[in-house]
Amino acid sequence: MIACHKLCKDYGSFRALKNLSFEVARGEVVGFLGPNGAGKSTTLRILSGFLGPTSGDARINGHSIVDEPIVAKSMIGYMPEAAPLYTEMRVGEYLLYRAELKGVARASRKTAVSRVIADAGLDGMDGVLIGHLSKGYRQRVGLADALVASPPLLILDEPTAGLDPNQIREVRALISRLKEKHTILVSTHILSEVEAMCDKGVLIARGELIAQGTLAELRALRRPRAVRIRIRGDASAAKKALVDIQGAGETTIEDSADRSRLSVSFSDPDDADATTARIVAALSRVQIGVVEVVPSSSLEQVFADLTARAPTATAGDAKKRKGQR
Amino acid sequence: MRGLWPILKRELLGLFVTPIAWVIMAAFLFIEGLFFYFLIMSYSSQSDVIVGMGPAEAFFGQSEFFYFPLVLICPVLTMRLFAEERKSGTIEALLTAPVTPAAVVLGKYLATLCVYVVMWAPTVLYMFILSSHGEIDWSLVATGYAGTLLVGMAYLAIGTLASALTSSQLAAAMGATVFILAFFVMGYAARGFDEGSTRSMLEHVAVSSLMNDFSRGLVDSRRLVFWVSFAIIPLYATIRTVESWRWG
Repeated sequence: MIACHKLCKDYGSFRALKNLSFEVARGEVVGFLGPNGAGKSTTLRILSGFLGPTSGDARINGHSIVDEPIVAKSMIGYMPEAAPLYTEMRVGEYLLYRAELKGVARASRKTAVSRVIADAGLDGMDGVLIGHLSKGYRQRVGLADALVASPPLLILDEPTAGLDPNQIREVRALISRLKEKHTILVSTHILSEVEAMCDKGVLIARGELIAQGTLAELRALRRPRAVRIRIRGDASAAKKALVDIQGAGETTIEDSADRSRLSVSFSDPDDADATTARIVAALSRVQIGVVEVVPSSSLEQVFADLTARAPTATAGDAKKRKGQR
Repeated sequence: MRGLWPILKRELLGLFVTPIAWVIMAAFLFIEGLFFYFLIMSYSSQSDVIVGMGPAEAFFGQSEFFYFPLVLICPVLTMRLFAEERKSGTIEALLTAPVTPAAVVLGKYLATLCVYVVMWAPTVLYMFILSSHGEIDWSLVATGYAGTLLVGMAYLAIGTLASALTSSQLAAAMGATVFILAFFVMGYAARGFDEGSTRSMLEHVAVSSLMNDFSRGLVDSRRLVFWVSFAIIPLYATIRTVESWRWG
């Protein structure tokens, strides 16, 4: 559905994107990840046809956004960051205008608008001036606008930025519902978002591709550095018991009221599984109950790790190479 | 030109809802009404002053009052077209819709031209007032309005370009005003030169030459070509400007 090939974008002498290539297949929900300033919005703006790449090309359903922008754009429902809207228009009026602009036939325009009003949770709001809407509702109008022409591809730039937790949950639920009919590329710098909504992730930093693959592949890029354990029993005794375990580094008692959580680092991350087993065994030898064992390898840490250093091979590439051998 | 019609409609809504269009029309009609009143007063007190020229011709062709308001009004009509959208970011939603830059520019431009036409429409009443008290040559009125339309087309096109060149509405209005005023001044300056190429060149670009001719029913193709290109060139430049944002 999307095929980016060596996208570069220069702003003056600053190169915002450096040979960015990635693909999104039909039906996928892909999280587009990166720290602020990584080039996420620039990439999405290029894909949506708002900006042109300095070099390289992107194909939307096989149509080049550079050479056939009108055809390519008609396949995309794009929601810009912060969903800018005409504040002097009413919600229904605006969506009708957008539907007409996007070439929805006159006969089905009204139906399309009432459908997206329901989908985006804007029931009863169609007569309200956009200028009077809260940020969350404006975001929904932006989303409704992206949906109004039923495009096969949705590109959403930070759809949950600035929303309260309830609204974030609603937007996520909506995106999950939309999965069935649309391919979705959604940018964010919040990783739990990707874990909640997406099948795959594309991670960029400083304008370069850092990693791409399924969420499991991305998580696997970083082996756990530590394991977190919740115990029943005396934490100091537990700490003492873990002093000389092979493969385990330092044990810290996490600061909580009941002192029930320990974090044990691994001196050799490659041996994490065996070390974890030894840690649990050691604790049960001293009669300390183990309630919970969580390897701390969240996507957050993958993100922090990967974006902080130079780009390496992608998970997808690694897999491919393995397959070839 | 896909997208031209919805953009034109939305732009009209924008002009009339944020009451720019109403304010401009009220101000404009007040000044033109004042002008018409004094014109009639002067005609009724000294009937033989301007020989061979009726009040309708004088209205269109003989006074700076007629087009001076346009120097300010056209830039104010066009200043928000692109400047506002760029400042608020809505330009991103507009340009990511499947529409061509030409449709965007022309849709917006034609919306202001519609307001311009609507703004002039009530002045037709003046002509009916004149015709009810004397004779009036309706073909001269028609060419007078044709000249008025040409001036509007050119001024609004310049305003549209100015609005695309900056994201500040004030700068857009000022830029267009200065540019239009420069041509205005050149028209005046013609009077200070002896017969010769400088004078004829300055006269050629002067809005007064156009309106003088057209108000007397003289539709000169040189004037037509000059004023139509005066509208087309800025519009073309605007389309290129909008395209260039993609590559900036």
